Amino acid sequence: MNYTFCAQTDPGRLRDNNEDSAVFDETAQLAVLADGMGGYNAGEIASGMATVFIKSEMMRWLSEAGRQARPREIMRALEICVDNANRSIFNAANSNPQYTGMGTTLVVCVFQADKLMLGHIGDSRCYRFRHGALMQITKDHSLLQEQMDAGLITPEQASTSVHKNLVTRALGVEEVAVLEIHEHVVETDDVFLLCSDGLSDMVNDADIAQVLDGSTGLEHKAQRLVALANEHGGRDNISVLLVQAVAATEKRGLISRLLGK
Amino acid sequence: MSQFWRADWFAGVLIVLAAIVFNQVSDVIGTLERRFYDFASTSTSRQPSDRVAVIAIDDQSIANIGRWPWSRDVHAKLIDQLSQAKAKTIVHTAFFFEPQVDRGLAYIRKMKQELDGPADPALILGGSGDQLRKLIAEAEVALDTDAVLAASIKNAGNVILPSVYVLGEPQGRPDTPLPDFALKSTLDENSNFSVPSIKGQQPLAQFGNVAAGIGHLNQFQDVDGAVRLEPMLVNYYGRAVPSMSLLAVMKSLNLSPKDIRINPGDSVQIGKLSVKTDESAMMHPQFYPPKDGRAAFAVDSFYDVLSGKIPASKYADKIVVIGATATGVGVQFPAPGYASLSPAETIAHITSSILREHFIVQPGWGAGAMLAVFLLVAAYVIAVLPRLSAGTAAIVTLGLFVALLGAEYGLLSGAALWLKLVFPASVLLLGHLALTTKRFVVTEAGKVKSDEESAETNRMMGLALQGQGQLDMAFDRFRRVPLSDALMGNLQNLALDFERKRQFNKAEAVYEHMSTFNKDYKDLQSRLNRAKNLSQTVILGGGRSHPGGSMLLEGGGVEKPMLGRYQVEKELGKGAMGVVYLGKDPKIGRVVAIKTMALSEEFSGDELVDARERFFREAETAGRLQHQNIVTIFDAGEEHDLAYIAMEFLKGKDLLEFCKAGSLLPAPKVVSIVARVAEALAYAHRQNVVHRDIKPANIMYDPDSDTVKVTDFGIARITDASKTKTGLVLGTPSFMSPEQLAGKKVDGRSDLYSLGIMLFQLLTGVLPLRGDSMAELMFKIANEAAPDVRTIRQDIPESLATLVAFSISKLPEARYQDGDRFARELRTVLDAWSGSMGTIAEAMPVRSTTNANAYTADQTTVLMPAATGATGNFEKTAAYVATSRTEKRTPESSTDLET
Repeated sequence: MNYTFCAQTDPGRLRDNNEDSAVFDETAQLAVLADGMGGYNAGEIASGMATVFIKSEMMRWLSEAGRQARPREIMRALEICVDNANRSIFNAANSNPQYTGMGTTLVVCVFQADKLMLGHIGDSRCYRFRHGALMQITKDHSLLQEQMDAGLITPEQASTSVHKNLVTRALGVEEVAVLEIHEHVVETDDVFLLCSDGLSDMVNDADIAQVLDGSTGLEHKAQRLVALANEHGGRDNISVLLVQAVAATEKRGLISRLLGK
Repeated sequence: MSQFWRADWFAGVLIVLAAIVFNQVSDVIGTLERRFYDFASTSTSRQPSDRVAVIAIDDQSIANIGRWPWSRDVHAKLIDQLSQAKAKTIVHTAFFFEPQVDRGLAYIRKMKQELDGPADPALILGGSGDQLRKLIAEAEVALDTDAVLAASIKNAGNVILPSVYVLGEPQGRPDTPLPDFALKSTLDENSNFSVPSIKGQQPLAQFGNVAAGIGHLNQFQDVDGAVRLEPMLVNYYGRAVPSMSLLAVMKSLNLSPKDIRINPGDSVQIGKLSVKTDESAMMHPQFYPPKDGRAAFAVDSFYDVLSGKIPASKYADKIVVIGATATGVGVQFPAPGYASLSPAETIAHITSSILREHFIVQPGWGAGAMLAVFLLVAAYVIAVLPRLSAGTAAIVTLGLFVALLGAEYGLLSGAALWLKLVFPASVLLLGHLALTTKRFVVTEAGKVKSDEESAETNRMMGLALQGQGQLDMAFDRFRRVPLSDALMGNLQNLALDFERKRQFNKAEAVYEHMSTFNKDYKDLQSRLNRAKNLSQTVILGGGRSHPGGSMLLEGGGVEKPMLGRYQVEKELGKGAMGVVYLGKDPKIGRVVAIKTMALSEEFSGDELVDARERFFREAETAGRLQHQNIVTIFDAGEEHDLAYIAMEFLKGKDLLEFCKAGSLLPAPKVVSIVARVAEALAYAHRQNVVHRDIKPANIMYDPDSDTVKVTDFGIARITDASKTKTGLVLGTPSFMSPEQLAGKKVDGRSDLYSLGIMLFQLLTGVLPLRGDSMAELMFKIANEAAPDVRTIRQDIPESLATLVAFSISKLPEARYQDGDRFARELRTVLDAWSGSMGTIAEAMPVRSTTNANAYTADQTTVLMPAATGATGNFEKTAAYVATSRTEKRTPESSTDLET
């Protein structure tokens, strides 16, 4: 399985700064998206630290572990890596007065063959688009979700709730952050969408699915999603990271074909 | 989307437009086109016609025959020779516009006139008159070279002579109409097909009348001065004058001007030959490339032909072009394939072109094709190129470029068709270059951006590393980030972290780094100075200082160091694990003693974590103790890797100095002090806090106010666990209880034992048990009974001596079980002492009423030597002891007391 990546991030229409951060690495097949929070620019710092740190640490680990790493090992590595990131952010928040109280949500994907190791903290999400159907495959760590789980409110009520942005887990706010991590099976032509709540709050699933259903390139889809979120108000920073699974073909380069190899 | 002017396609449009404008205002692309035409059109396999020959008036001929212009009989002679050799047509490019009159000819003519005059020649010259006349006639003929030449031309009958016209749009009628002889070579033409002219120069009528035809010798120069076009016809007020070449072909085909058919805008037809022309009757002649380094047409020297070196028969049935090639004679022009070509050679080329229908055609559909190609190229540059990757784009562009030029080359050299494709090719190349440049510039900008991104990455990693306490690596990261205001804040924080770790030299490095960006950032300068001073003088930092190394500095001008919220004023002394400072809380002005412990110097790894935990636990416990005789703990903390405890600052000194004979305190005072200590211990023990290190050095006493304070609660426990301090602990075991020495778990009774030893020492100035070696001392503590106080100091009342001995019993169970009782009994002794000595015995029973079962029965190990007897005191003492206790123990105690 081959994966192509594309990331877009936009401050939205109401904010000047962008506290989201989305990075990926094609060779490591790794994608990280974080939505920071905290006063001044601390949110940027938190999300930046999280993505940079996790990306660089995981890339190092993955390059050492090679393609043979088992899902379980990868998940363990992710946990350790996220734990380190958490500690870093937490300590930075404590030692730098201007960063006090900063934190960030996190979605991190590692693709290996036809497996996806998906971890998340907070209300940044991952969706899977398969056979024309969009499905959210992370469950927010948010007050709203808890309320829904407890049956206190219905999804309809949830969409109008005022507590939309209260997360129950975040990276960097406590000494320990628990990463929820699962393994998923990837099928050919699956599209995975990692996004901050700037997209999921502004654009409903049907619209997202419609955009993802097109035959245009990933880049265009990502741009379209960001544009949609802005059209619907763009009240928060919008980050979109798309990953498409493509069947690995035995396509050989011109040179190797010429050489008859 | 909105920034379309940054899009590649827009750049493409700009480039195409710019190329069009550029092509209009400058001739750079045109020049390239012509050069390419020259190159391609001469790369042909077409062979020149062998019917054309050139005889050149070259340097050699001039050297042999004489200065130019030659006498015309020379030309006449050559024409005669050629004529005899039956040359088909002779094209003579020399202009015979003016008569050539020999100066001698005028006299000859005058003489002839005289002779032919009315006077009788015979009268003048006598009989020789006829002969003379003959001679003169001969001279006249010989000197009248024009007549000679005219005769030769007439004789040959196939000589074509040149005329020249000034090209231009005629406004009215001609100054002079064409002479009849010129007129006969022309034809009517009023369709604006041929090139118009306003003036003409014709050969002398003398020659014109006898020439086979008069053709124009107007060479049409391109903008670069080269000859690429041949005007087939020049229009002189309605008469089309054919060019010499055309005329030559016509003559050689035995045709007359009547046989010339003009197809305006397309071609000129002579017999069956059709010469393609453009709309002004211009043809693109084929210039034949030189072969094997020789010119396409062999150029024979005039002199060689004249002298017979080259036989004239060579020219039989040929079109012979005679013209000047010598330097300084005639004008030469560059032509395709040739740097310079004389008119004669040019005519040879053109004539051959016409004869063999070798000309280059710009087809009618050419303009449309060129436009189409141009539009295609523009479309490629605008629409396709931006979508291709750099590599593909390069390959495709190169391919198209080669294809365009290749097509033009192929058409020119193969099919003699001229499609001007250099311009589209230039647009293609320019567009590609411009787009590539633009992309490169954009990439460059992108690179700057990605540099910024990686700077941001480094900053984030720096923060992360700093968060993990890896300050050096964090600084390393920060250093790679271009300095900015945001980074300054991070750096300052890092410097503070270094300071906290007491690595002032590193803090200094950070400050130095910061000052390269902004010297006046906040209080950077003062911080830098401070860090400088500290890194040079301070003993605090690094591993070289001993545990809790001295922190105070001699140097002035340096900020007082801070420990927590306390300003460190001065050093008070050194303790077991660290230095004690006098500190001040600047906020409330409270003066405190700060005891420091360099935990990280003492412990490492897990032990350090343990020690730190224990430290704070102990500090907390000690902090709970609030007693008038216990030093109050205000605060505990850790900074600069130093654990510290801030406590009440006491006046006075510890009791060490009252421990030596000669400086002893009065006995009642000693008893009073010890009683108060005992009470303090009792309080602490009720809180489950054991001091474990009761000794004179840990009791502070201020004689002025008679206050006693126990210090260092809990701290001893930390000291205990120190791996490096084992020796030190062993250095002063004199006050340790046997069970403590044995490493058993100790409780308050151990403190009371130590207090008993201290009491002994304060009373006598000596320790009850001493040894020459550590082993001996430890053995004695474990096994040997202490001597009676009174053996050393006789004025001690017996009751006190008994009390002392009791308090330092070997078995915990045999001693005072709590400090309160110890204190009460001490007070009782004191009261009795100050009242009457006899009251002691009465006072004693009081204590026996409490705590009879304070210890368990099974602890019966007896280490003490058996006592030899019992006294009255025995029963009182025994009252402490549980009933189940062995008999043996009580006699021992009584013995001590009795002795």
